[in-house]
Amino acid sequence: MEFLDLLSLGFSEALTPTNLGFCLLGALLGTLIGVLPGIGPTATIAVLLPITFYLPPLAGIIMLAGIYYGAQYGGSTTAILVNLPGEASSVVTAIDGYRMARNGRAGSALAVAALGSFFAGTVATFGIAIAGPTLSSFALSFGPAEYVSLMLFGLLAATVLARGPVLKAIGMVLLGLLFGMVGIDASSGEERLTFSAVELFDGIDFVVIAIGLFGFAEIIENLENHEARGVLVTKLSRLWPTGEDFRRAWPAVLRGTGVGTFLGVLPGGGATLASFCAYSVEKKASKNPKEFGNGAVEGVAGPEAANNAGAQSSFIPLLTLGIPSNNMMAMMLSAFIIHGITPGPTVLATQPEIFWGLVASMWVGNLMLVVINLPLIGIWVKLLTVPYRLLYPAILLFCCVGVYSINNRIFDVVLAAGFGLLGYAFRKAKCEAGPLLLGFVLGPLLETNIRRAMTISHGDPGVFYERPISLLLLIATVGMFVLMILPSFRRTRQEAFQDEEA
Amino acid sequence: MMSNPREPGGTGDRPEFLTAGLFVGFGALGLWAGRDLTFGTASAMGPGYLPTIICWLLIIVGVTVGGLGAFRDREEIAKPKLWPVVIIPAAVVGFAFIAEFFGFVAAAVWLLLVGSVADRDSKPREVLMLTAGLTAFGALVFIVGLGVQMPIWPF
Repeated sequence: MEFLDLLSLGFSEALTPTNLGFCLLGALLGTLIGVLPGIGPTATIAVLLPITFYLPPLAGIIMLAGIYYGAQYGGSTTAILVNLPGEASSVVTAIDGYRMARNGRAGSALAVAALGSFFAGTVATFGIAIAGPTLSSFALSFGPAEYVSLMLFGLLAATVLARGPVLKAIGMVLLGLLFGMVGIDASSGEERLTFSAVELFDGIDFVVIAIGLFGFAEIIENLENHEARGVLVTKLSRLWPTGEDFRRAWPAVLRGTGVGTFLGVLPGGGATLASFCAYSVEKKASKNPKEFGNGAVEGVAGPEAANNAGAQSSFIPLLTLGIPSNNMMAMMLSAFIIHGITPGPTVLATQPEIFWGLVASMWVGNLMLVVINLPLIGIWVKLLTVPYRLLYPAILLFCCVGVYSINNRIFDVVLAAGFGLLGYAFRKAKCEAGPLLLGFVLGPLLETNIRRAMTISHGDPGVFYERPISLLLLIATVGMFVLMILPSFRRTRQEAFQDEEA
Repeated sequence: MMSNPREPGGTGDRPEFLTAGLFVGFGALGLWAGRDLTFGTASAMGPGYLPTIICWLLIIVGVTVGGLGAFRDREEIAKPKLWPVVIIPAAVVGFAFIAEFFGFVAAAVWLLLVGSVADRDSKPREVLMLTAGLTAFGALVFIVGLGVQMPIWPF
């Protein structure tokens, strides 16, 4: 069977010593930053992005992917043990997980979270393996018009599903598109929006924006918010769930996996949204919803499975269509581009080892994470006591070396510092920087395809609604826009994100 | 995030005003920077076609955000602390210049020492040890290990 051949090709790639090593490194780093509050996967990947340039392409991508899904494991550990969610995606885990820990069932909660995540990760890996080739053969029939509609749909969906006011998110996307246009225009060769700075002729580097907005801005903000946090670690009990917990957890894991895999594929989805939805699904499905908030094992199993499944299935649109669905995937896209690989349907055909190697490494990485997280849990908990004042100088150094090493230019570092200040202003203005990154990455692609589509149709916009797939995507986009304006939908959306902001 | 002090009475959501200012500002800046670009037609778009549209959209979104914010309850911007805002960019920019002319060790020492000043909790002994450790680590991993193009010493 061809499918098995390809999967074994993937495993032979993923199991080489180099790739195995970087997979482990990514999983360890992911767990580490998942445990440490104040450092998220976005910032970490931004910092490490320039370094992957020095690695073989697959190894670098495997490592970055490992950081993303590894953070989902690590985030749950602190959520359960100290009621301190390391990541946004484990906020809901803290509700019931910490309760379980207080009731002396910490070991059970941790094991359910890790095993549930592992199960979800396995299913999502197969999901990618199956959906990948199907979707990408479908995408091969896409013309410029379809791509434009798909990107418009993706960008709008990303703003609706992300948290924060939609209008501001749309503004941030536009700003990202604008930043993406700086540099020499590919079709006319004219330089634009560069203020005649030679350094900007090649455009603004993704790493400069990512490190500025997420690295520097985050450090400044964290230094501003001094909160004394008393870390009170609960005592660990037995590390294996009771039969009762097990019996109640597995249907929740199944549901969480389903919810997470589905939501991860949607633009703007991913781990955080998945875990929130899974929690409300569990609450609705439960026979005694009153238990939720008081240590219901389903409240840990469902969201934990969902956030891991979502983290992995969000790779599907990137790998098959070449379109990143959230800011994390925008980072991954640029990791591919650093190595001259443009993800999309053609990669699957021309460089199958990249796609299948990554898919196989995800499963291997998930297996590693169970081992890293369960027996070694004591070490990670100790790390919680490391104060931020010892962490941020290291992050600062990584950021600076990273930005400088792109082109060995002072200019890039100064520009990144400027984006750091801009990112700080965005935080003061309560704007999420994620959509900007998405707009920035998709900008050039969107512009090329719009121009191509309009040139082919001789300026007739009909090309966008006369082709069926394109029309369907545009209807979905408009539908979403209408939905967004409806007050009842806006209220539900606000409620869904309310807990997250608390 | 910090809590948002709400004052009863009065309207105007200040974070929304700041957003509006940023959006309109960048939109206007984009229009000004791209004023000489050819606009072209729909079938043959010039380099200025889409940037101009996006800048106008950005200005419209900005004005709408600001306008809606004016009718909301008054909300203040979380009070900024100037110290880290000044120190961190200064440390970063200094790093780049020193790295260019005096090599990695001098630049890293500057970055870590100045950067540590941004946090009031820093303890001198810790800072010195951290600086020494991270500088050595960085030189070994980045320059020797990964081959980042930067001299280690000033000479």
